[in-house]
Amino acid sequence: MKVELLSHTPIPELKRGLPRDFSSNELLPHISFTFAIEGISRACSHQLVRHRIASFSQQSQRYVAVKRLVENAVVPESINEKAPELFREFISQASDTYEKLVELDVSKEDARFVLPNATETNLLVTMDSRELMHFLGLRCCYRAQWEIKAMADEILSKIKPLDPQLFEKAGPYCLQWGYCPEGRFACGRMQEVVSQYREIRP
Amino acid sequence: MILKFLTSTSHIEAVIATAMLTTTSGAKPSTLFNKLKADPERVKGLVGRIETQHGSILEHNRICWLMEASDSEVLEILLSNRFFMITRLGASSWLLSANLRTVSDFARSISGPFSETLIASLRTFAPNIYDGLKRALR
Repeated sequence: MKVELLSHTPIPELKRGLPRDFSSNELLPHISFTFAIEGISRACSHQLVRHRIASFSQQSQRYVAVKRLVENAVVPESINEKAPELFREFISQASDTYEKLVELDVSKEDARFVLPNATETNLLVTMDSRELMHFLGLRCCYRAQWEIKAMADEILSKIKPLDPQLFEKAGPYCLQWGYCPEGRFACGRMQEVVSQYREIRP
Repeated sequence: MILKFLTSTSHIEAVIATAMLTTTSGAKPSTLFNKLKADPERVKGLVGRIETQHGSILEHNRICWLMEASDSEVLEILLSNRFFMITRLGASSWLLSANLRTVSDFARSISGPFSETLIASLRTFAPNIYDGLKRALR
């Protein structure tokens, strides 16, 4: 996975044009970030695009043929440990079927029905800082799925240096709010999580 | 109503061109972006075709303005397009921001000085989008 910050609102320039006492919270929706997200699974991108106050441009499987699926599939660590061969066999079969369908002149948009969630994808995502804080609140949480958590941690590491004060509390909701909103699903390690994210220095 | 451009996200047209190519090519978006940033002619060619593309690619940016307006003028803007983000700064001063899709949709549906000022401010940082919009609104 690779996360690259392509473009963002120049925060110092924006602040210079505003009254000194202007609240940071009110500034958030006016600050926008665009990231290139590369080499994530379709399973991960499905979760990402559920953040609706954002804009996405994702590589299309209707127009772009999926190549080298076996080499490029995203493999979860648990599968790598417990059943790598089983996984590889399935991916290889899916890849063969996909390629045969395309050879038989089935359109890419229909052939893709056999592709697994492990298929790699690339996309651009644009979010304003308010939505980004919500995204980080949910996805930096220890309960978040590993791949989107890794993405959220990468995103956090890119935005924090741009304004350490504004993004001081950027991270999981337990850091932002001082309590865990997960109720009975809480990981029970709030102090550890909060310390970990407090330690991230720009 | 007075509108003054404040700032915008960087490389707006290169990002839009990157979004266009990301959907239809196997290339990595960061590679595309770095190439496009250095190739304004290619960006011009791509962005010039924008009317045939999905409007969502115009959303990868944000432009900020300072605005002097009455409460009723602000209400009118928000009722016309809910995607403008407006925050009060003082009695009649506001921070206004929007992406290019919002600006384009607004200008296409409502003509007048506010639309004209919005579009005019695109000239410096998104000249090809500005030309396209001017042509479309003629």
